[in-house]
Amino acid sequence: MTSRSLSRRTLLKGTGAVTIGLPLLEEMLRPSPVSAKDSRPEIPVRAFNVFFGLGIPAPLQTEGFDGVLEPLKPLSGKLLIMRNVDQVRCDRNGINAHYDGSAGAFTAEPPDGEAKSGGPSIDQVIRRSCYPQGLPSGMVPTLVAGTFFRRSRVSRYIHSFNADGTVAGTMQETPRDLFDRVFGTVNLPDSAANPEEARRRRIRRSVLDSVVTQYRFYSGRNSPLGAASRARVTEHLDRIREYEQRAFAMRHDNKSPQLPPRSAVLHGGQADPGGQGIDITLDDLTTEWRLLADLYALAIQTDRVRFGSITFLAAGERIRLTGMYEFGGRTIWEFNDARQLNASGDQGCSHEWWHRFREKNQNEQLRAHAHLKMRELAYFLSRLDGPESVEANGRTILENSLFTISTESGDGRHNDVRRELSSVFHAITSAGGRFKTGQIMDVGAEGLDLYNTMLEAMDVSTSLGPKKRDRRAIDSIRA
Amino acid sequence: MSKTPGGMVRGLTLIVSVALLNLNSASRAADDPPAASRTRSGLLALYEFGASTGPVVKDTAGVDEPLNLLIENEQAVRRTDGSLEVRGKTLIRTAQPPARLIKAVQRSGEITIETWIRSRDTTQAGPARIVTLSQNPTERNFTLGQEGDRFEVRLRTTRTSRNGLPALDSGRGHAGTRPTHLVYTRDRTGRTFLHVDGRQIAHGSAEGETSNWASDCRLALANELSKDRPWLGTFYLVAIYDRALQPQEIAQHFAAGSSAATPPALAPGDDRFFLARIAPLLAEHCLECHDPGSRQGGLDLSRKVTALAGGDTGRAIIPGKPAESLLWQQVTSGEMPQDRPPLPDDVKQALREWIAAGAVWPLDVIDPSLYVLDGQKKQRWLQRLTVPEYIETVRSAVKVDVTQEARELLPKDLRADGFSNTAYNLNIDLDHVEAYAKLAETIVGRMDVKTFAARFSEDSRLSADRMRPLIEGMGKHLLRGPLTGEETASFLQISETVSATGGDAEQAVSYILEAMLQSPRFIYRMEDQSDGGIPRPVSEYELASRLSYILWGGPPDEELMRAADEGRLSGRLEAQARRMLRDPRAIARSRQFVHEWLNLDRLENLQPDSKHFPQWDPRLAADMRAETLDFFEEHAWRRKRPLAELFNAQFTVATPRLASHYGLEPQDDGPALYDLSEVPDRGGLLTHGSVLTIGGDHASMVTRGLFVLNHVLRGRVNAPPACVDTTPVPTEPGLSQRRIAEIRLADSSCAGCHRRFEPLAFSLERFDGIGAWHRRDQHGNDLRQNGEILFPGAEKAVTYETTAELANLLADSPRVSETITWKLAQFSLGRPLMAGDLPELNAIHETARTNGGTYAAVMTALLTSELVRMSRTESQP
Repeated sequence: MTSRSLSRRTLLKGTGAVTIGLPLLEEMLRPSPVSAKDSRPEIPVRAFNVFFGLGIPAPLQTEGFDGVLEPLKPLSGKLLIMRNVDQVRCDRNGINAHYDGSAGAFTAEPPDGEAKSGGPSIDQVIRRSCYPQGLPSGMVPTLVAGTFFRRSRVSRYIHSFNADGTVAGTMQETPRDLFDRVFGTVNLPDSAANPEEARRRRIRRSVLDSVVTQYRFYSGRNSPLGAASRARVTEHLDRIREYEQRAFAMRHDNKSPQLPPRSAVLHGGQADPGGQGIDITLDDLTTEWRLLADLYALAIQTDRVRFGSITFLAAGERIRLTGMYEFGGRTIWEFNDARQLNASGDQGCSHEWWHRFREKNQNEQLRAHAHLKMRELAYFLSRLDGPESVEANGRTILENSLFTISTESGDGRHNDVRRELSSVFHAITSAGGRFKTGQIMDVGAEGLDLYNTMLEAMDVSTSLGPKKRDRRAIDSIRA
Repeated sequence: MSKTPGGMVRGLTLIVSVALLNLNSASRAADDPPAASRTRSGLLALYEFGASTGPVVKDTAGVDEPLNLLIENEQAVRRTDGSLEVRGKTLIRTAQPPARLIKAVQRSGEITIETWIRSRDTTQAGPARIVTLSQNPTERNFTLGQEGDRFEVRLRTTRTSRNGLPALDSGRGHAGTRPTHLVYTRDRTGRTFLHVDGRQIAHGSAEGETSNWASDCRLALANELSKDRPWLGTFYLVAIYDRALQPQEIAQHFAAGSSAATPPALAPGDDRFFLARIAPLLAEHCLECHDPGSRQGGLDLSRKVTALAGGDTGRAIIPGKPAESLLWQQVTSGEMPQDRPPLPDDVKQALREWIAAGAVWPLDVIDPSLYVLDGQKKQRWLQRLTVPEYIETVRSAVKVDVTQEARELLPKDLRADGFSNTAYNLNIDLDHVEAYAKLAETIVGRMDVKTFAARFSEDSRLSADRMRPLIEGMGKHLLRGPLTGEETASFLQISETVSATGGDAEQAVSYILEAMLQSPRFIYRMEDQSDGGIPRPVSEYELASRLSYILWGGPPDEELMRAADEGRLSGRLEAQARRMLRDPRAIARSRQFVHEWLNLDRLENLQPDSKHFPQWDPRLAADMRAETLDFFEEHAWRRKRPLAELFNAQFTVATPRLASHYGLEPQDDGPALYDLSEVPDRGGLLTHGSVLTIGGDHASMVTRGLFVLNHVLRGRVNAPPACVDTTPVPTEPGLSQRRIAEIRLADSSCAGCHRRFEPLAFSLERFDGIGAWHRRDQHGNDLRQNGEILFPGAEKAVTYETTAELANLLADSPRVSETITWKLAQFSLGRPLMAGDLPELNAIHETARTNGGTYAAVMTALLTSELVRMSRTESQP
């Protein structure tokens, strides 16, 4: 079989409504310097969390690129794959284990509510540390996006969290949503051509000034609000400023990519009918995901985004997948979950293969699903590793940035929390040469120590987890 | 403390509040910078009592001619860095009349007298002089004093006597022995106000001028100049201004607090120590295996009696003797918690200290469900209006319906911890900002701006002095309380811009309205959270908003605002609640509650497998949702029945399509009331299609049982134990859902948890995945209704034979009615409940139960409770 690798250009053009010409793309992809300290443009600090649902059972992780990790092989030189990362700390009594593991990905802390993590995610810690005064204007501070079909709890699919544990951005679920969030502009009438419009524009500016003044008071030093509320109002003020930037400051031209087509697959509540799962074809799933992944990658390439998270299938995912899965010229598996499970509803979903995982068995269906997940993650990562992603230092965005790939489970049966969370798959990129790559490493460390080591390597002084805790530096991952 | 049950609980509430205050003051001091600062504008004299020795109290206002005070009898005081305790009779006074101060107030006609004090007792009288500017007992410029448990302020003007009479009286109960922030203000128009702990508690008038102030008065603390009106207690701060501080400034000063007033730390022998440290520890680490249902090793640590009695191997807790207590031995050795990481050292230490101090245990039973989210207790989020609240607020405030546009433009509020109005999850993104801007434009475009503005001012000229009262009037209405000067100024800038660009008054008002509709005070339910770690009564306007949003999901009406204006709302809460419950918005809001509690949104996306359910009509999903909401309205509002009877009410409201689906004879063309008293298998909430479909296509007993456990009984279970195959087992001939469950329950590794919830769904076995009723399943297996229910916290299960019997058990269960109260409280407060809420929740529930257990009874008890009347500090659970 052929890997159904879609060229972004082909895909974007093929969808009909999107027409990004190559010259334009080249212009947009030119990296923008973030500092004028010297004549050489600096490479911006970036950190992204990449999540996939249901995990990779620990025994399958030991098979290296001969097993389900095969699709990552072309990127193996750019990745440090880490096994035996212990996230048992994230277990919380009486709470669904998918949710525990998912909320702990990138935070290494147990959840603190259905839509709240126990601490910040690493991308946000880095963002706050490296850009304490905020990101350059016009940027989306945190881009959260994903293709997923399980939504009972927010932490199943959102993977960027603020310091107070609340979500750091609204999920952009469809390519159109993501497009609007990154490339959308606020359409105000052209003032240059019409004096009356110029006048209205001035008044509107005055309205916004008044609103900003009020938000500034409630987020400022004399605010009567407590810390959590003040942070929320500050976030609101930041978004108003972004709105202001788009409405009054950004150059309006016709060079932005055009609106992508409407999604063909279900979204919103329809995409998760009460946990009962949905029927979806492999083609629909990957087409939707790849368009989203393309736009996310484009947002990074055009330097509109430096932090955030992207999700390919949520924790405890429930889909009934059908379709022939081919890779590298061979047929991997023909998906037909409901028929192969001989069940409907939630019991006919791919999720069940993880329940049925037994180390001694072939686990063909699970392997195929996990393989597919790796192929799609590789698709996204490779978008940032091509010639158009080469930066001033000669490395690609993938190499210069910190991409952390994680999931919810290291076991595969997720009925034993200790086992499930004791060997969670992780992979990272080199982040500009800070971390070793080209290895598969048994780190044998707690997630909290791993993440804190990563933060330290990123020159971030803030650390995750309880203050009264003996820390262990995982120096083996550092270059 | 009262001996009535309610009184006992209320007493405990105070204890808990103080405990949490104490606990958190320390951590707050360590972690957070002060949330607010003090204003210096108009400051004439400031005493911060910074020196720990000497006879002089320095004026630190930083203005010329400091008004230092001299302590006449040093032996009568004890000084620390930040306080001065007056332990015996003395006088602390200026050496000369404070001419600068007197002249300033003569000029301004305004004054503020601010103190942070702690009275020694509430028997002092005279009034006992706290701060005075006087000559003798009958001649003064002002005196702030204590008369028993009241405060009293006398002020000389051209219309009051030389003795400053009539005085402004705080009313009873405001003077006490805790650190108190007391502020008296008098403005130029003669209005006088008294604020205690940031909240206005009295107002009056002292008309006339201050030009007649005597120039030979001296400023003094703790006594009259004649030395015969002593006051005993502690001073932390005294400040005098030549202007009347605004309420927001007073609240800010209260928030800034006085560091010396920080209460003492907790002691391990205190009730509060158990509530704050030990109960969460046991709930989190021990009750999984040692509650009444599990009793591993024969030990139940959820109750005082059973915990102290011990288990199979001996006494777990021997008060005063940690070394002999098995609980301590096993915890310190790391044996317990079994198969879990050992407890952190500081937690172990707390346990040891608690046992050593006598193992004080003030609770009847520890409810672990309260401690699940205790990590959130340090955080307090303001509430953004949810989408329905935004729509209702616009509708009520400006009579414009933006339902369609708001639902289209505003991002959907996501459900968290059972409700979609959970404040921490009401986050904000660019989409919101764009939507609010667009909606504001749309709303104003649909308004009759001229008519609207005329409600607040008949003068429509576009000038600052004309626009100001209009802005203040519109702002107070739209933003649910008076504007500050800065807010008014920011809106005035818009009218100036409109004026400068040739616009007219109507245009100015339109744009100002757009700004108001995007103001944080419109989008959020803004409250003053600068409480300095001390719970305080919320302001009258905050209270008005709390009442209206809780009961109506919308803004205060004119009656509520009027009551807030006059400062009489907090004193008439019950009457207001009764009035508000008669408004149709109260019904709509209660339907929202039911919608959220039972997660009826789920029905919008119901997609039963067409192979299994070829008869499924997608329109049934909407019918099911309507059934449950209409049923609730009939039960709670028309019949006014106790809420627990939702589970065994013998009627429903169904469309003809749904009636047929249920096997009932359709009675009408539209929704109709069906008497189910002769239909034994259907009746009560659990037999509604909206609830039954929770089990999915396969009518999962696990899912249905967990729903009842979590949402009806407020119970918890843990994740499945190791090595248990959780793959659902399909039914087949000879193997019904019940039989599969029974096999599961016979497995000891499953039964521990499954017996708590799965039998709850046994009575529903005859209802399939879409709520239709059958005697046999698709394989011909007989379906049954009997089962048993193990109420959380109970030792033994209660058996039942039929669906109706289970319904009756639930309707009669105190646990169920209590859970409904708790769910209503959570929805009303917009946050998960915490352990610190327990005493007040119990009081609310008891009051509601006494008054019939109806929706009105619960909501009235809630609205008049401290959960609504008091602020919750940032660090208070």
